Amino acid sequence: MSASAQGSSSTTKAVVSDAKNGDAKEIEKKPTQLEEDDEFEDFPVEDWTEEDTQLPSGNTHLWEESWDDDDTSEDFSVQLKEELKKVGLNKQG
Amino acid sequence: MDEVFRDFRLALADGDGYGLAAILSPVAPENDAGRLYAFYRSSNAHQIDGDVRYAVKYSNSIGLSRDESSAWNDVFVSYWKAVGEILAAEEGENMGKLKDGQWASVYEAWKSMTILLIKYHLSNIFPAWSIPCLYLAGKYLRIFAIKADSQSVKVKGNVTFNAGFQDDVVSSIGKNDKLEDAARQLNRMFSLCLGDRAPIEDSRKWGTYYTANLLFKTHFKLNAISLSKNIIRSIQAQADLPTLDLFPKSHQVTFKYYVGVITFLQEDYVQAEDNLTQAWQLCQKHAIKNQQLILTYLIPCRLLTKHTLPTSNLLDPYPRLQSLFSPLAACIKQGNLAGFDAALQAGEDEFVKRRIYLTLERGRDITLRNLLRKVFLAGGYEPLKEGQTEADLIRRTRIPIIEFAAAIRLGMGPDGQMLDNDEVECMIANMIYKNLMKGYIARERSMVVLNKKGAFPGTGV
Repeated sequence: MSASAQGSSSTTKAVVSDAKNGDAKEIEKKPTQLEEDDEFEDFPVEDWTEEDTQLPSGNTHLWEESWDDDDTSEDFSVQLKEELKKVGLNKQG
Repeated sequence: MDEVFRDFRLALADGDGYGLAAILSPVAPENDAGRLYAFYRSSNAHQIDGDVRYAVKYSNSIGLSRDESSAWNDVFVSYWKAVGEILAAEEGENMGKLKDGQWASVYEAWKSMTILLIKYHLSNIFPAWSIPCLYLAGKYLRIFAIKADSQSVKVKGNVTFNAGFQDDVVSSIGKNDKLEDAARQLNRMFSLCLGDRAPIEDSRKWGTYYTANLLFKTHFKLNAISLSKNIIRSIQAQADLPTLDLFPKSHQVTFKYYVGVITFLQEDYVQAEDNLTQAWQLCQKHAIKNQQLILTYLIPCRLLTKHTLPTSNLLDPYPRLQSLFSPLAACIKQGNLAGFDAALQAGEDEFVKRRIYLTLERGRDITLRNLLRKVFLAGGYEPLKEGQTEADLIRRTRIPIIEFAAAIRLGMGPDGQMLDNDEVECMIANMIYKNLMKGYIARERSMVVLNKKGAFPGTGV
């Protein structure tokens, strides 16, 4: 039973990592066009008021904690729960 | 010619430094594309000296000193010559008939003008308010140097193809000749500004940060970042320099960005975060590319200093940053070690190029911390004893190592299958050592005993 569960989990992983490779190719293409203008640009004006800065944007939620307690339904968390359950069962058994 | 000197008179009369600088621009204004050409055609090599002398004298309704008048005379003659070189090089480029070393000639001509401007500022003949002329000269000195170097590399590159590797060494030595030369001139400009002793209302010290920023850009291009540290040091040592917040925001933001990146590369992440955060906050709203550059360093920085990740709110306006950081951030949050490694590998080229790879790699600890934290949360609570209420609930703090081991094996994917329990203990010991986790390992019982008050510092549990 546990063997089949592991089998299924490793196939999903394979799919995930394929998708990652696809992303990688896309990422690799982009730098070439960016290489030339990788420099901090001159601003079009010398000075500006505080209204023209990032400060008043009202966009407050910019950073979040690195852990995530909310989303327990994503694949990985579900798998983790399964694994922990199995360990617990083994111990009892 | 008339037009140029009409503007010259106006700028002098108003004491308008930026107006004056605009007259000496090597790029024609958008609304008058033929201006450089017309200026150049209005005289010739024999007459330019006399023409300019007459025009400057005629401009002198506002009473320039004889020294200043003759100094402007020199500058405009030099400018006229530089314009000639620029027009020739641009024409050569457009027609595909660029001569060898043509951009180097532009560089040399522009450098002559730049040296004159430096000279007359050093000797106080030019007023301090005309310092934007130095900014302009310095800005384009760097640009022309880069063009000259890239043209000479192309020429030399063709030669080296046949000549074997010995010449290769030679050509790599000479490949930044002009830019290194430009750095020396920019350094003189910087020292001249920093060391000006005039009263502050009328001081060239206001040019300090602009010229420092030009040097930073140049050093980064030359891969000589250690030179930038000297610049920062001499600014810090100059006690009578006005504080940075009194300077124009463009000077502030650029300076903070470079100091931020330099301290980032020195792994002084607290300083780096401070500088980059300020650069980010003050950055002009519409300068998307600069914001993106700031965040490229601020995001890895905050991952280490504050253990925080960018939200989609923050990343939404920057598709490139999103594709760069979102996959990593998602895996860090999940505690997905294999995914983290894959995302790091996928972006490796880009991360290495931006010099953020090694910093991001340290995010693996945070990923592991989050994974172990999930195990702790999944452990639930100790059963309540008699008389205790819900408020007395405490989490189960004794966790069998096999639970952590199972989680790490899952988190590491295929690589994790080989992991033995000693290795798992070692990883946990590391987490405890790095203060990402509080507790101890009770080996004889194969348990990890976690601190009841804050097992994972700073994460709410």
